[in-house]
Amino acid sequence: MTADVMRAFVNDVGESGPVTCVGGRTAWDVGGAADPAAREVRAPVGIVEHEPAEMTVRVRAGTPVDVLQRELAVGGQRVLLPSPSPDATVGGVLAVGRSDVRRLAYGPLRDVLLEARYVSADGRLIKGGGPTVKNVSGFDLCRLLVGSLGTLGFLGEVVLRTRPVPDASRWHRGDEVDPFALVAELYRPAAILWDGAAAWVLLEGRAVDVREQASVLTRHGMVEVGGPPDLPPQVSSLTPSALRALDPSATGRFVAEIGVGTVHADVGAARAALPVEVVELNRRIKDRFDPRGRLNPGRDPLLGAGAEVAIRTGGGCRLCPTRSATGSDHRRARAERRADP
Amino acid sequence: MKLGVDEDELASCVGCGLCLPHCPTFRVTGEEALSPRGRIAAMREIHWRDAPVDGELVRIADTCVQCRGCETACPSGVPFGHLMEATREALAEDRSLVYQPWWRRLGYRALGHHRLVVAGSRALAVGQRLGLVPSTRLGLPARLPLRSPALEPSGSDVYLFTGCIMDAWQRGTHTATMGVLHAAGAGVELLGHGGSCCGALQEHAGLGKQARSLASRVMAAAAGAAPIIVNSAGCGAMLKDYGRLLGTPEAVAFSARVVDVHEWLAPRVDALPADEWRKLAGPVAVQDPCHLRHVQRSHLAVRTVLRPFVDELVELDDDGLCCGAGGAYALVHRDLATDIRHRKLASIERSGARLVVSANPGCLLHLQAAGVNVRHPMQIVASAVAPEP
Amino acid sequence: MYERDASMITVDRPAVVCFPRTAVEVQACVRAAAHHDRPVVARGAGTGLAGGAVPVASGVGGPVVITTTKMDRILSVDVEDRVAWVQPGVVNLDLTRALAGHRMHFAPDPSSQQSCTIGGNVANNSGGPHCLAYGVTSAHVLAVDVVLADGSLARLGALEADVPGYDLRGAFVGSEGTMGISTRIAVRLTPNPPAVKTMLLDFVSVDDAAGCVSGIIAAGLVPAALEMIEGKMIEAVEAFVHAGYPADAAAVLLVEVDGLPGGVAEDAAAVASVGERCGARTVRIAADETERQLLWKGRKSAFGAVARIAPNYYLHDTVVPRTRLVEVLREIYDIAARHDLLVMNVFHAGDGNLHPLLVFDAREPGVLERVHAAGDEIVGASLRAGGVLTGEHGIGLEKKAYMSQMFSADDLDAQARLRAAFDPDERMNPSKVLPAGSRCGDLQGVPEGAWV
Repeated sequence: MTADVMRAFVNDVGESGPVTCVGGRTAWDVGGAADPAAREVRAPVGIVEHEPAEMTVRVRAGTPVDVLQRELAVGGQRVLLPSPSPDATVGGVLAVGRSDVRRLAYGPLRDVLLEARYVSADGRLIKGGGPTVKNVSGFDLCRLLVGSLGTLGFLGEVVLRTRPVPDASRWHRGDEVDPFALVAELYRPAAILWDGAAAWVLLEGRAVDVREQASVLTRHGMVEVGGPPDLPPQVSSLTPSALRALDPSATGRFVAEIGVGTVHADVGAARAALPVEVVELNRRIKDRFDPRGRLNPGRDPLLGAGAEVAIRTGGGCRLCPTRSATGSDHRRARAERRADP
Repeated sequence: MKLGVDEDELASCVGCGLCLPHCPTFRVTGEEALSPRGRIAAMREIHWRDAPVDGELVRIADTCVQCRGCETACPSGVPFGHLMEATREALAEDRSLVYQPWWRRLGYRALGHHRLVVAGSRALAVGQRLGLVPSTRLGLPARLPLRSPALEPSGSDVYLFTGCIMDAWQRGTHTATMGVLHAAGAGVELLGHGGSCCGALQEHAGLGKQARSLASRVMAAAAGAAPIIVNSAGCGAMLKDYGRLLGTPEAVAFSARVVDVHEWLAPRVDALPADEWRKLAGPVAVQDPCHLRHVQRSHLAVRTVLRPFVDELVELDDDGLCCGAGGAYALVHRDLATDIRHRKLASIERSGARLVVSANPGCLLHLQAAGVNVRHPMQIVASAVAPEP
Repeated sequence: MYERDASMITVDRPAVVCFPRTAVEVQACVRAAAHHDRPVVARGAGTGLAGGAVPVASGVGGPVVITTTKMDRILSVDVEDRVAWVQPGVVNLDLTRALAGHRMHFAPDPSSQQSCTIGGNVANNSGGPHCLAYGVTSAHVLAVDVVLADGSLARLGALEADVPGYDLRGAFVGSEGTMGISTRIAVRLTPNPPAVKTMLLDFVSVDDAAGCVSGIIAAGLVPAALEMIEGKMIEAVEAFVHAGYPADAAAVLLVEVDGLPGGVAEDAAAVASVGERCGARTVRIAADETERQLLWKGRKSAFGAVARIAPNYYLHDTVVPRTRLVEVLREIYDIAARHDLLVMNVFHAGDGNLHPLLVFDAREPGVLERVHAAGDEIVGASLRAGGVLTGEHGIGLEKKAYMSQMFSADDLDAQARLRAAFDPDERMNPSKVLPAGSRCGDLQGVPEGAWV
């Protein structure tokens, strides 16, 4: 049955013509607008296997995240996937690559995906990674797919790492607290958010620990609240310490993930251009995985990294010419010499 | 070329590399060739595959400090010290190689003649005072003693082994040790004629014949069954190895009598008068001589012995990595020895200690030469329990 | 001596060994190799167990080995951003020690951590006992400066939370030197837990111990580490470290829980109660740090103890679903018995990462064939149970031939495309990881050296 479902998905994707994979359309604008000419396909739906004692779940990519969470909750577990809307799908959030707000404690989204079965640009079913929580067999295609916006392959079925639902989980809010000091003061808080004035803290874990840590927050005048603030739609990244310099008068409304560096704001921040070597590597990967550029045309994970560098190849595979040193090579070499006496 | 090593011992390295960070020369060079695993690979090339012995292979063997830190780190129990000694002996015996040139051999031989050592040391001391001896360049202590008061035996409960260079340059340590032993209730006898040089430096240099002949002389100079107490970690390790070196029942029996002074004192430390007010303020860092820690493995006794007399003993954070002294090593491989010492100095710095103790004359000299305030543990204990009148 | 790592596999001798001190020098080495059409093999401390650092010739001549041991400086430590920039030759344990004053550490702790380098950890995506709770190396690397096959230098990843584009950092970590050479690495620092409890549970049956592992995971506990030592190994370990390991037990579990004191106490009690339910004979909690260190020393020196039992051993590194530990362990015993070999297990039970050691004496005629056959069957049994080839040691040369048992030709083709995007001419560490199109390594006998 599983094999049939996946075969049908492979057939849907086919081997030619532009094609786009639709999830819940929750983040449909991320990385640019999809080419309207592309044929739409949808990943299969359903939970294939959940063995709580394994702390993993095998699920089809079209399954809504909320549906998966409800099913896992029956076994006292959850996955650390964000759920931006009730329609957001497992495959969709993985392809978009935004981490859950609890990243401070549980790590980024890319660490959740253990195995991926996806359909490649030439219409084959490919497996990357493996179903166990620990695995270094071969190259890491899973991490490559997370955040790739479906431009390298369409996720069909994935194995995700699950975690136990914590005994206690409490949000706190306060106006008089330095959120940056809390990172060091608390032991592995699940999340610390800050909007330039107020701070929110999520404590999770054993009830006894949450109580103990909550007493620290109480001392800082924080009180328990029902949940986090609404997150503004645009997401950008800074280093954790650079968050201190955020200024609401410049950026508009924002909510920053303290200790992580993610900023949710009404206005997206401009990004510094990526170095040419990195852009080149992105381009080469796209060329190798989808030489004809048929997967999710229009979407580009580099969008915002400088328009001139966007990966929108449509031609045949370029043979990755070996370049000689560029100006930036020499600049970097000089800097390196200064840093490495 | 055959190296005279034990085949099974040479085969016992599985190449896991756990020894690498414990090897001082690998630590400072990052070169596999200068690591235990690399040196064993070189030995195998020569011994098993008859690789020609060139200058590089000689350098690989000769740059080993023989600290044997790799042995304590080795999960397979490879007896690296034996392998290296056998290798050097084979290299030294091959006259087609210029391993251990005549002047080095002569120097090692002279150590066996104690009057010569003492006279030579005095000549150097006079030269120093006349400004004729470039002490720093030769790696000598800044001020060699002109004349040291003779040691007086106080009984026959134990022997104290006094050594060659140590007796000439650091006799004060022996005086202190005898005072402490006396305070612990033991009458101290000294070894008879010929019992001065243990042969360790010769053995490490591959001059096995010289070493074995010195070993026989030392054994003859310590008749009876009294324990032979040693306050030099390097000499102690050597005396304890006579059984293997000579392979005779007498040598085995002799080695069984050898005990490091701290080992001997540790169970008796309560008998020593320890006054709170005499306690030395810390922090004092313990620098373990390799041949106490990695060969004799009795370095913990130093702490037991010192604890009643020092307020705050601190450990260095370098896992007992060698200081680079290595007997004659600091003279022969000055640059490597200095680089190795640099790591030790950094570790001492991090410990916050202003005083360091080390139970081996070589380490004392090598660290003193870098300006470290370092003393033998017996000097600390003696100043508390047997203060000079 | 640069022709092998800890795996004892040798293929070709290096033509040149380079000891760069800076990224610029690494670039120069790689460009020179490219100019002369020589393959490039990066090497850290040479403690890998799968032959990943073993040079293999390609192109017109012998391989160029680039050793990173002289690049051994910690460049910066930023406590607020919880990141340190290090050169690739920094020894894993040295980094953790240098961070002690900040009450931080580098979480991946392979058993070779006293020797292995961070650059090697990145190349192999190394694990260790504590990656059960903290994750493997990939979860602790934020960015890597990499010299690519053409000699250019690229920063993969960033200190910022996310970087636009594909996760090149993620692709590079664990690529076993086939995509480039790291010249500086930004590692994530992990705060030291305020409380730690280490427990030793002992069992009279291996099945009970394996059942207890599943029981602990199923109870929703995530210990910091969950290790099993079984059979003769316990006796050997105890003779070596004198840590109070019960020599007559069939299996012991070493369980560590950490976190805030209250939760740690509850977790420890919960582990103990699962243990008792699963038939643990005794549950001992290390009374102090000394006892705790001694127990860990026993675990980490286990393979040394094996070297004292038998002259040779061969180690696998498969991972199986934790719920199937009992049956796979049984099957491994059966396989060893069928081939008349002794097998021992010391492994990361919490994540199902088996380290079965086949113990033998290579001087016995025909034994190598039996060891290989048994090894093949162990891999087969692990894969059939839904497992994978390697959990932390990597593929290298040694497990390359098994890759097609786990991956289809299409799967391998996709991996080859990724590698080709980084290194189209296959100049970086050729003949590793992927079986297709690579020449057969000269697997002389069986790799002996190994930690578990």
